[in-house]
Amino acid sequence: MAPGGQQADLDSRTLVEVRIPASAAQISAVRVVAADLAARQDFDLDAVSDLRMAVDEACATLVPLAAAGATLSCRFLANTAAVEVVVQVTVDDPGAKVPQNTFGWRVLTTLADDVTVLDGEAGTLGIGLSLRRERMDG
Amino acid sequence: MTSQSGYEHLVPLLKEFAALDQDDPRRNRLRDELVTGHLPVALHIARRFSHRGEPQEDLEQVATVGLINAVDRFEPDRGSDFLSYAVPTITGEVRRHFRDQAWSMRVPRRLKDLHVSIGAAVSELSQRLGRAPRPSEIAAHLDISTEEVLEGLEAAGAYRSASLDEVLTDDDPTGQTTGDVLGEADSALDQVEYRESVRPLLASLPERERTILMLRFFGNLTQTQIAEKVGISQMHVSRLLAQTLAKLREGLE
Repeated sequence: MAPGGQQADLDSRTLVEVRIPASAAQISAVRVVAADLAARQDFDLDAVSDLRMAVDEACATLVPLAAAGATLSCRFLANTAAVEVVVQVTVDDPGAKVPQNTFGWRVLTTLADDVTVLDGEAGTLGIGLSLRRERMDG
Repeated sequence: MTSQSGYEHLVPLLKEFAALDQDDPRRNRLRDELVTGHLPVALHIARRFSHRGEPQEDLEQVATVGLINAVDRFEPDRGSDFLSYAVPTITGEVRRHFRDQAWSMRVPRRLKDLHVSIGAAVSELSQRLGRAPRPSEIAAHLDISTEEVLEGLEAAGAYRSASLDEVLTDDDPTGQTTGDVLGEADSALDQVEYRESVRPLLASLPERERTILMLRFFGNLTQTQIAEKVGISQMHVSRLLAQTLAKLREGLE
């Protein structure tokens, strides 16, 4: 950092956002970032792989719900204790819901330590998930 | 070996072939006969390498090339019998094919080596720690920087089908020990609503992929635990899981 440079607070330094067209073909970029962030926080390789798959699953769940031409945003907050992820898309259909009785949801909830549906904001749907660095199992 | 190999009738032909001049007109016919006669050996070796992401026809072709090389280079006077010369020659050819294919993205040599050492470190550390290692632990074990480990792991992602250690060791198919856990996983699947849609897809998966998927998502084992049970590396489990999920997702849409 340059001397006398701006002071950044902790969150803005560790917050990473990836925005992609809401299309299945674009999800790989998000996967790569997820894996890299976890590996750089020294997560063990199982957890790195779990996070990559969980983020993949969350994105794949939201892509079919997205409005035409929508952008999918994926925000990562990584520190040595956990990686928190919020994936969001804009939706057209006000009745659209994040499906939770699917195999994909089972996958997501198995991989992540914590999963939340974010449907409080009109016109957007999202999934929040987090993975702790120290895991219970294993 | 020669006495029970089932290829005894070809031994005189091998001697005859080896004694011929390079430009003898009988060479081609004899060579064809020898290659065709020993073809089951090549096909058998090709089969041992199946289910590793390479098309079976390609493997058979490469194994046949190995067999042709063996026929051409075999020297009966040296005393060893043909099969003990041909089997390693053919196997070597197939392995070389995997190495070339798998690294088709032209990863620099240094990264390939790094990936191989990381693979070995991961399995050793997993054994010792009882869980998957962290990048820092791999770095300490190999006495390199964490940055290099991260670089090597990234190269692993560029590696298309399977990692080198998996290709170079003959792994057993699904071990017996998975049976009990799999039973529990199956009953866990029974308790979920979507089983009707997902069951036929699961049933269509290769056995190893299905087992890994069930153990991870219905048996609640970690990738490292699954790797140990199934007898492949954690990195391989990780790749198979990701591929299988993508396949299922396509099927469910």
